[in-house]
Formats: sequence, C-alpha cells, structure tokens
Amino acid sequence: MATSVFKSRRSAISGIAVTAVIGLFVLYPIFFLLQAALKQGDGTVEGSTGYGTGNFERLPNYSGIIWNTLEVSIVATLIAIIVGFLIAYILTRTNVPFRRGLEQLMAVPYYVTPLLGALAWSLLGEPHSGYINILWRALGGEGSIVNVTSAMGIAWVMALFEGSVAFVMISAVMQSIDPSLEEASQVIGAGRFSTMMRITLPLVAPGVLGALIYVFAEMLGSFSAALVLGTPSRFYVLTTAIYLMVTQYPPRIPLAAAMGVVLFAVMFLMTYLYRRMISGRSYVTVSGKAFRPRPVDVGGLRWVYLLLVGAYIFLAVVLPMLTLAYVSLQKLATALPSWSNFTFEHYRVALSQNAVRYAIFNSLELGVITATIGVALTGTISWLLHRTRLPGRAALEYISMFPQAVPRLVFAFGIMWAWLVLPVPVYGTIWLLLIAYLTVFLPLGVRTISSVLLQLDKTLDECGQVCGASWSQRLRTINIPLLRPGIMAAWMLLFIGSVRELGASILLVGPNSQVLTPAIVDAWNFSSSELTAAMALIQTLVVGIFIAIFTMLMRRRDLKG
Amino acid sequence: MSKEDQAKGVARSAMVPSRRNVLRAGLSLATLPVLNVIAPRAYAQSAAATTVQGFETGANVAQAEQEGAVVFYTHDSGAAAAAICDAFHKDFPKITARYVSLQNGSLFSKILAERGASRYEADVIQFSDLGTAIDFQSKGGYEQYHSPQQKYYSPDHLSTPAGLYFWIAMGFAGIGYCTDQVKAAEAPATWKDLLDPKWKGKISVKQANSGMQFTEWYELRKLYGKDYWKTFAQQKPRGFNSRVQVFDRLARGDDAICGMAEWAGYQLAREKKAPVAFVAPKDGLPSSPMANGIVSKAPHPQAARLFIDWLMSLKGQVFYQENPYLYYGSIRKDAPSMPGGLRLNDFKLLVPTDMKAFLASRSEFNSEWNQMLGLL
Repeated sequence: MATSVFKSRRSAISGIAVTAVIGLFVLYPIFFLLQAALKQGDGTVEGSTGYGTGNFERLPNYSGIIWNTLEVSIVATLIAIIVGFLIAYILTRTNVPFRRGLEQLMAVPYYVTPLLGALAWSLLGEPHSGYINILWRALGGEGSIVNVTSAMGIAWVMALFEGSVAFVMISAVMQSIDPSLEEASQVIGAGRFSTMMRITLPLVAPGVLGALIYVFAEMLGSFSAALVLGTPSRFYVLTTAIYLMVTQYPPRIPLAAAMGVVLFAVMFLMTYLYRRMISGRSYVTVSGKAFRPRPVDVGGLRWVYLLLVGAYIFLAVVLPMLTLAYVSLQKLATALPSWSNFTFEHYRVALSQNAVRYAIFNSLELGVITATIGVALTGTISWLLHRTRLPGRAALEYISMFPQAVPRLVFAFGIMWAWLVLPVPVYGTIWLLLIAYLTVFLPLGVRTISSVLLQLDKTLDECGQVCGASWSQRLRTINIPLLRPGIMAAWMLLFIGSVRELGASILLVGPNSQVLTPAIVDAWNFSSSELTAAMALIQTLVVGIFIAIFTMLMRRRDLKG
Repeated sequence: MSKEDQAKGVARSAMVPSRRNVLRAGLSLATLPVLNVIAPRAYAQSAAATTVQGFETGANVAQAEQEGAVVFYTHDSGAAAAAICDAFHKDFPKITARYVSLQNGSLFSKILAERGASRYEADVIQFSDLGTAIDFQSKGGYEQYHSPQQKYYSPDHLSTPAGLYFWIAMGFAGIGYCTDQVKAAEAPATWKDLLDPKWKGKISVKQANSGMQFTEWYELRKLYGKDYWKTFAQQKPRGFNSRVQVFDRLARGDDAICGMAEWAGYQLAREKKAPVAFVAPKDGLPSSPMANGIVSKAPHPQAARLFIDWLMSLKGQVFYQENPYLYYGSIRKDAPSMPGGLRLNDFKLLVPTDMKAFLASRSEFNSEWNQMLGLL
C-alpha cells in the first residue's frame, strides 16, 4: 500500500514537472503563435489593427499550395515508409551480406543536411542541365529522362533525405523482436513473405505507425527540397510559401502563423488515429523469456536483398555524395570535367572562415547537449504515457506532438516572442537554440522511445519489484538495458537532427550562437553551389566522424559489459 | 586591355555603359534623386573628429575599445557580414565585431520584436531598401549621429534629418543572359524586349522579398506603364531568392534570360568564367540603395560610431565594392572604380525619387509579384 502511494506520488511529481517543462517549451510559444494568427493588419508588431479570423478566411485562396503540400507529403511518406520498412526488415531480420556496413551507410542520408540532398539531385536531375539528362541526351535520347523539379521528383528527394528517419525508427523496433515468433510461423508452414506480413509487420505496428505519423509530419514541414527543386518549376508548398511570406517586407507573419496553426488539426487527427490503433492491443515482444536477436537465413534471396539495399544506398548516398564531391572540386560546376576547372579553393574558403569553424563547434556542442537532455526528457514523457495512470496523459501526448505539426520557421517566431519577454537571459545565446531544439525534437524522441517501450513487457519491471528491487535499481538493471536500442536510436536521431536543423535556427541564431546549417544555406543563397557543396560535405564528414567515434565507444562499452 | 575595356567587353549591351552614353542619357549619379519628402538640407554639425587608421571618426576610440564589441544586424549574407566584421576587427583588434544575418523582412521582424520586449542587442543595422529604413525611422529605431564622414556624401544620400542612416551602397540590375543559349545579336537589348513571347518560360527574376526587385518593378512601371508587368506575367517567369541562384541557373542554361540581373551577381559569375553576359538597357538600370545606421539604445554606442565611420570611410566603401560577397557600388563622392574599372556614374541609374509614392506602392507590388510567380 505504502509502495503504491509512493509510486503514484512519484508519478504525480514527475508528471507535474514534465507538464511544466512541456507547457513552457510548447504551449507558451504556441500561445504567441495563436495570438499572431489572429492578428489583423500588416502583421508587424506595431501595425496590428486588432484581432479576428481574417487570416484563416484567406487560407482557401491558398488551396493550390495546400494541395501541393498534401500531394508531395503523402507520396514521400509512402515511399519512405515502404522503403524504410523493407530495408529495416532486410538489415535486422535476414542474413543479408555486409549487414553492418550497410546499416552504417543507411544512416548517412539522415545526417546529410536535406539541402545537400536537394542540391545534389538538382544537379543530377534538372531537365536541362541535370547530369543524368545530359548523359541521356549524349546517348541519343531526347528531352529529359528525369525531372526532379516535378511534384514526384520533389517527393522522391524528400523521401530519400527527410524520410530516411523511417528506417532508423523502424529498425530500432525490429531489433527487439524475438526471432522465435517468426521461426514458429515458418515451422507451421508459412512462407517468408507471409511471415513478414502476418508476424513481423503486426509486431512492429506501433513503430511503423509512429514512424508514419512522424515522417508525414516531417514531410508537411519539409523545406529544403521544396525550396531548391520546387521554386524553379513554380511549385510551392506551405513551408516555402511561409518562408517567402516572412522574409518579405512587410513580413506577413499573421498569415504564415495561420497556415502553421492549421497544421495542428492535421497533427491532432494523426495522433488521435495513432492512439486509437494502439489502444487495447499488446505489442509486447520483449518478455521474461530470454532471446538473442538472430537473423533468419533467407538462402539465395540474400543476394537479391543485397542488390535492393545496394540500389537504395547508391541513389541516396553514393550518387549524391559523388556529385557533390565532384562539384565542390570545380571552379564552375559543369557536367564535363577538365583540369583547368579543378580547384580545392572552396574547401580552403570554407575552412578559413572563422564563422564556419565556430559554427561547427557550436553545432556539435548543441547536438550532444540536446540529445542527452532530450533523451532524458522524452524518455520520462514516454514512461509517463505508457507506464503510469497519470491523469491527463493523453493530453500530454497530444501536446508533445504539437511541435511536429508547425513548420519550424513559424514555430521559431513563437519561441522568439515567448523568450524575449521572459526575464531569463537566454535570448540571443546558444541556450535559446537548445530550448528550441529540445522543443522541436520532442515528438521525435517521444515516438522513438515509446515505440520500444510498448514492446517491453511490464511484468519484467514487476518481477524486479516483487524481488524487492527499488525503483532506481529496476530502472538501472532492467528497464534501461532493455530500452537501450530505443534510447541509443533516440540519442542518435536527436543529435543528428540538431546538427542539421535549419528552420528554427535561421531566426534564433544570435551574434554569439552561429550554427552550421544556416551558414550552408547562406552559402547556397549568396556564394555558390560549389562552396555550398564543399561546406555541406565538411558538415557530413564531421558528423560522420563523430558518429563513428560514438558508435565505437558504445560497442567497446558493450563488449566490456 | 584596360580594366574598363574588359568590363565593356563582357557587358555586351545595346548601351555599353560609357561616360559619353551616360551624359547623353542626362542622368548621372551626381543628379541622383532628391527625395521629394525631403526639404533642402545642409550637413549637420559633425561630432569632434579624430583620425584613426587613416579615417576620421567622431567616436571616442578608447571608450569604444573599452566596450570591446559591436553587433551588426544585416540583410546581407552571413559570409558578407563575417567578412565585414573580420575586416573591422583587423583594424581594431580590441573590438570584437559580431553579426546577425537575416533576410530583410525577418530582420525587421526580429529587431522590432526585440525592441518591443525592451531588449537591445543590435548596435548597427543595415536594411536592403530605403522603405524598411524609413519605416524603422518612423518607429524611433535610429540613434542620431553626425559622422565626420558625412561630408563625403551628398545630403540626398543621407537620412532626413541627417545622421540617422546613410546610403551605404547601391545595388543595380540590368538584363542577364546565358551565352550558350542565346546569341549576342538575339539577346534582349531593352526592357521591352523581355516581353517577346520567344522568352516565355525561360526568364528568371527574384522573389518579392527582394528590395531590388521592388525597385525594378516600380521604376519600369513608371517608364512603361502598368501594362508592362501584366504582359511580363504572361512569360511565366520563375522567382528565386538570391542573385547567386539566378546566375548559377543562367550559367547552367536552366534559364536563358534573367530579368533582374544584379551587377554584383554578374561580377561573381564573370569571375568564375561562367557563360553569362550583362546588358545595360539604354532606358536605365533600376537601383536600390541600402541603408545603414546606428540603432537607438545600442549597447555599445562608441563602438557603433566607430564602426559606422569605418563603413562610411573610403576604406569601408572600397571593401564594399571589392569583396566578392558584396560587390556593391559606392555612393561616396571620392569612391574609386568598381572591379572591372567602372564607376556607379558610368551607368544610367533609376532610383525612386518620390519616396511617398514608392513606399505606398509596396503592398501593390507584393500582391502583383506574388501572383505573377504563382504564390498569390
């Protein structure tokens, strides 16, 4: 009885603390956004002429842009989830050759700044100057074989670079499945495909659903691919429209905020559907019965799988990286190489800029802090959502999903207004970026850790409790070790997400807190594609080295353990 | 070949910008606009000046060094801002210059939001067009400071009243084309040539967030009437965010023509030996001055004065003309030639003269331009 009271009190205290933090980080800026969305007049702070629903009434005028957004988001999400699921299945559940190496390469598109992917594919697939089309015409073809500036082209690039998170999220869940369930299915006569669809897929359903919602929201808020590839074909989505509205003079922030607020409704619906689908069902795959994840022998099919994964990696990693490396070594980007056009100058310029060196350091520092605090925060939220009976936990889930629904550029305005008026000295410092990152990546952390948590049998914790283990002992010896894959995936996702974050950073960087991705976008806008390619490759390399060191240290720790 | 000849060679135009042509056109920088909202003015008395690093300043240099920092808010790129800050810091090692770089609209929102919350982070601010600067002035945003450098500028190129901001540089635009796609003889020579249906779907311009684009829209509408842009809209132009993007696309042949080719972007492309050419139409080149001034309640007031004086000085102006991230023309009376050997007054520049009408037309421009580019 006393334990139960203590437990509920602890949950209540954690609940109140987390709700306060979430309230401050999410609801407080949203209050300012709602206020802005209801403002009438020219939208400047002093140009407001009162409140009303005029901005929302104007939204039907943008139905074409809203339709464009839905079109590319749905297509890109479907591509990302299907490809993410298949590759996660191949790499975690089968004995495909070179598995570990392929796994490492699969993470690359996620830590590549989306702008880099878009830039690479614009160089490859522009109807006139794209290298693929030039090659096509040189081989006797006519017109263009690829057009990345079309809606489908944009969706393809978005799926490759902004949807790669689906693979990371789904594979984290797949690693926790007891292979004996699949083996049992095959023993009683089910084929491999049937086993995948009837056993594996339902077991990873929370992870896939979580990834689906996250990726769809990510696509709604996607910016770089639509900006780089859509603008040349006069194809706008909500984020590019918002970007152009807030950068115009006078800035049309109220209308942009209204567009952002409308996306709340979409997110509400998605979160509601997610809750409905997972409620009342068990997805437990990690129980008291010990298992060792082991791949299924798929025979000769492993080479077909290798080919499939290899093709994806070629399109998402090798081809874009080679293109950018090639462009970064040219004075003027051209399809045909020549020695007189060769230069290392862009790397020299990029590395000689104090601002860039300083920004790399800031980005890495912020990435580590965001990931570490973010995992603790989102882990606590996931725990409260799925392991307690805390009143109002459904509301907590909805609120923690809010930041995903609002384009980050708009959310950044809310954060700026919110923290400007608070008497806390964070405005203009790196700490405001930390707050922004923790807020905008809340849904990512919660989704990733929740997916793994749902697979964990509660009885394991209860066994520990029966044996007299304290809460902290159980956390340390039972729950955290079992949640490790999810926690590590969340840490990595938050770290990479922070380093490549753009939307919120553009507005919130201060004179003392420059970070790298806005500097890369700046180079694309004002310097050259060649310098941008060099800077983006430097960023990718730095992040890659950092992740390799991190992974190595973790493996060494595992071996010691 | 002299620098001037080289520049003429690449500026294949209906009107090669020579001094004689400019004189014939009857408008030179010396007669640049007298803002009709401005009463005749004389220079206000400058602060007591000392000479440091070869230029006069009204700042207390020792105090500025004691402040140790200056914060520069600018619409220009991060690379440009970083270069300016580094150059200033080189001259004044005891003062760290830092910057915030944002597109003009976002910069305006940010500074207003900060001031609305009584936060004063910026010392000096630069806007991409006069409209924003005048709006900021009307909100009490500037600190009045009469720089000893003002004497090198025409009173028309200072704020009203003087001392709030000055025209730090001039951007101007003509027509650009891809020489791989378009022969010189077929290239548009005048603004009206852009309306030829053969260019449909092949023209790039900039988005409505460009102050330069606004000026072009305003000036060409004044010259050719409202129908000019209505006809131009039928060409289905594509809008981009920056001069670098439009020239990169021209160089690759993705667009054949650029309807708002900024000289600064052209210089950068020319340096890379990109297959692009610049045309200076004989009717003139729309030009947009950038405005720079000290922000009221600046946290480092003496460093801000020193920074402004440095920017206004010959040294600062040469830097603005020659840095590849800037490549702007200087409006300073004794400014040397720009890279390529030309001076601002070698071109027939079209600068808005009726500021009231210019400012009042902004919302019409935003609406028409967004609609034309498919953004509504």
